[in-house]
Amino acid sequence: MLERNRKLFPYILILPAALVMLGVVFYPFVYNIVLSFSNMSLRNFREWQVIGFDQYIRVFFEPTEPSFYVVFIKTMIWTVVNVTFHVIIGVMLAMMLNRQIKGKSIFRTLLILPWAIPQYIVALTWRGMYNYEYGAINLILTQYLNLPAVEWLRSPTEAFIAVIITNIWLGFPFMMVIALGGLQSISNEFYEAADIDGASAWQKFKNITVPLLKPVMIPAVTLGIIWTFNNINVIWLVTNGGEPADQTHILVSYVYRAAFGLYRYGYAAALSMVIFFILLIFSLTFMKRSQATKSAY
Amino acid sequence: MANNAKIKKRIADGVAYLILIIFTIIAIYPILQVLSISLRPGDRLLTTSLAIIPEDATLAAYKELFSGRPFLLWMRNSILVSFVVTATGVALAAMAGYAFSRFRFKGRNIGLLSVLVTQMFPATMLLLPMYIMLVKLGLINTFLGVIIIYSSTALPFCIWMMKGYYDTISPSLEEAARIDGCTQFAAFYKVVLPLAAPALVIVALFSFMTSWAEYIVAAQVLQDTHLWTLPVGLQTFQANMSTEWGLYAAASLIVSIPVVILFLVLSKFLVSGLTLGSVKG
Amino acid sequence: MKKYILLLIITLTYLDGCTPDDRMHIRFWHQMQVGERAVTERQIQRFMEQNPDVRVELLYKETEQLRNDFIIASYARQGPEIVYGPSDMIGLLATLEVIRPLEDFFDEEYLDLFYAKAKVWYEGHLYQLADKLGNHLALVYNKDLLSKPPETTDELIEIGKELTKDLTGNGRIDQYGLVWNYTEPFFYVPFLTGFGGQVMNDEQTRPTLDTEANVRALNFIQELRDVHRIVPREADYEIADALFKEGRAAMIINGDWSWGGYMSAGIDIGVAPIPRVSETGLWASPMVSTKGFSINEYIDDEKLPMALELIRFLNEPENQLEVTEAVKTFPTRLEAMEDPIVTRDSILVNSRRQIEVGTTMPIVPELRAIWDSMRPNYQAVLNSQKTAEVAARDMQSLSERRIREMLE
Repeated sequence: MLERNRKLFPYILILPAALVMLGVVFYPFVYNIVLSFSNMSLRNFREWQVIGFDQYIRVFFEPTEPSFYVVFIKTMIWTVVNVTFHVIIGVMLAMMLNRQIKGKSIFRTLLILPWAIPQYIVALTWRGMYNYEYGAINLILTQYLNLPAVEWLRSPTEAFIAVIITNIWLGFPFMMVIALGGLQSISNEFYEAADIDGASAWQKFKNITVPLLKPVMIPAVTLGIIWTFNNINVIWLVTNGGEPADQTHILVSYVYRAAFGLYRYGYAAALSMVIFFILLIFSLTFMKRSQATKSAY
Repeated sequence: MANNAKIKKRIADGVAYLILIIFTIIAIYPILQVLSISLRPGDRLLTTSLAIIPEDATLAAYKELFSGRPFLLWMRNSILVSFVVTATGVALAAMAGYAFSRFRFKGRNIGLLSVLVTQMFPATMLLLPMYIMLVKLGLINTFLGVIIIYSSTALPFCIWMMKGYYDTISPSLEEAARIDGCTQFAAFYKVVLPLAAPALVIVALFSFMTSWAEYIVAAQVLQDTHLWTLPVGLQTFQANMSTEWGLYAAASLIVSIPVVILFLVLSKFLVSGLTLGSVKG
Repeated sequence: MKKYILLLIITLTYLDGCTPDDRMHIRFWHQMQVGERAVTERQIQRFMEQNPDVRVELLYKETEQLRNDFIIASYARQGPEIVYGPSDMIGLLATLEVIRPLEDFFDEEYLDLFYAKAKVWYEGHLYQLADKLGNHLALVYNKDLLSKPPETTDELIEIGKELTKDLTGNGRIDQYGLVWNYTEPFFYVPFLTGFGGQVMNDEQTRPTLDTEANVRALNFIQELRDVHRIVPREADYEIADALFKEGRAAMIINGDWSWGGYMSAGIDIGVAPIPRVSETGLWASPMVSTKGFSINEYIDDEKLPMALELIRFLNEPENQLEVTEAVKTFPTRLEAMEDPIVTRDSILVNSRRQIEVGTTMPIVPELRAIWDSMRPNYQAVLNSQKTAEVAARDMQSLSERRIREMLE
């Protein structure tokens, strides 16, 4: 009896969460798989049929503008750069805030503001700050730093950098909060022992902070990657829908355009499946390499 | 020697202050711009002046928000929805995360992965089937409809986060409690959970923000104006090429206040949660 | 704690879900901007007083969101009884079979009371009855800076140069002759048409962008910015709007939806048709569309008469004029169009002049694919990444391909 209970216990703990998630996710997910094999589109909106792999063939072989592979690479850059900076800035600030210094609760509170404020308006505010003639950033560059003004929103590379900066700004407080929580799990004893051994700050960081922070940061990083990969909102707002000249898109932009621009639902569903598998492979590799499912103890 | 260490600490503190000050300025400058928009008459999103407080500043937007628009009703709805989602997210994730962290059972790895998988699908494409499903369940135009959707959206991160944090807590603590005669659940509830306070705070904040800021689902599901949450309400200020920027900015600032308050309340547990040492001692 | 949460959930669902109400419930989704909204709310209030057994619920959604939410809701056989929006969504909604043909619900005698363009037909059916005409761009000028608006593009450039100034002498331009959201294709159309081009052919079957007119118009816009320098180097809708509202721009090209905002920002504005293109002698011809009412395909039969009644009510000449007075849009009832409120207002008179030389906005769904294909190529010209010739060709081929994909 006891033995059986012990075996059942984890399932009982998981059951409520599993029910909620299955209940919400299962039907839409299956629906989409079916759609991805269908011809649902503007002309076949109500009476669509399952037609096989045609939509997948289109996803891979139909020419797109801009090219699928160029956008794929941009999506990877977008994801990696964003998450990297989120984590670096987040962890760094958390470590500063974890020190015994005065006024840290004020800093802490002010630093989460980018997370707290609705994205829509700050993203557009950033867009304003990038304006060539009147934006704050160029005014600072030219008037205080004596640097030439940058055409943030008119050149593809600069526009892409501009969006990334905005998204880093929006995302670092979240990682900071997580790192701050993670740092509490590290007992001071480790640092004290290291001090006795005469370890340098870098050694302490590398050998104590990083490995012990890892179990807490890994979930956030994994999900951060997944979210960023599909996060189109900020790009859309800052670049006004992909400006200049559709050169600041990521893969999900195609899903949007296909579904809400051209009403090709079947195609959009197939494309979503492809994105889904890219992320699945990516996460599996990442989890394997970071051993995310293993416990620290 | 001691003097040397003191100087070192001074320098390190100085560097810490410098970094914190720089990032705080970066963090709040765009928000000051939002403040500036909210004080600007004539619904101008942008201006050619760099002044934060405009010359012709007015509080008209704030006045209109509270007297002319059902802002407080939206606020109430949002708070209700967000609190229920937070409670659900925290409770369910605390349990499920514990199972994933401590037990080796059939389906564990698949389970962990499935949780993640739900986040990988572009959300836009889920909107249509989700709507059909809610219609079939009779949940259109109910808070329960959005609460369920939000909980399922927030849970994957919450579960993973809790699992990750439990992983840092040594199982020897529960074993000790079990030897003292605690049941399995009591060992979890009384020993492990308090130690995981920082993670609970993170999970709570995250669940809260998930429902606090979401509008695409809410706009679809909540079709009666008296059910609107803040983000849906804020959208009424938004219009293609004629947005009421003053109102939008004022509302945005006010919308972030409850988040900050929540953070202030919770951060006590985030940064000075019981540490392992204090329990051991 | 758990009990409390459960209780909370139950109260939430049942208390707020529905208050008992046996009045007939008509839901009305729209995208009216705030000024129009206030007037419509008052009118709906009056309608409910006249029909005490009806409750009309107005729901605002932003244009894009309205279209998407309505399509999804109607696909699930739900959604509002009435949907109100611009005519360019009609082709799409009709093709998706989410709105109903209206020709059987309104008799000819009644329809004759409306201006011809207010009745939006698509593939042989009437799908929208409009109460507003316009949604068109025109030239708006700040009377403090400019007394007489230009009538040709040569005059525009000349006046523009005079009014583009560095007032403070710091080497930066503080006042522009002309500003507008020129990077957006919709705002480019007046010049395309002024050079004799069109976005689509008259039958609305295919794009007509690979033309000499398009090339010349593209070069013209670029020259305005780079040679004559009367427009800012970088301008989107919000920057243009801010400059004009701050009195730092003498002229702006913007739609009728924005004029009220300029007046309330304290600018003494005049409205004029966008100038003739000097090279061709043709008027710049912005797109003119309508905004109006459509009925959900899945409306309950018992609600249909009341929904139609509401549409008739809001289209009463005095109700149309009430909106006109408030936000300076153009009514569609012939009787209202001749009312002194319309004929004596200088802004409306000039707005009408612009409408008369305007191009009717196509309502076919293909137009969306065309905008999406024009935008990147047009911007590539502005950024000197493509020549006008190449861009015109690419606009054409990309639109054709996207339309094929759309109609597959």
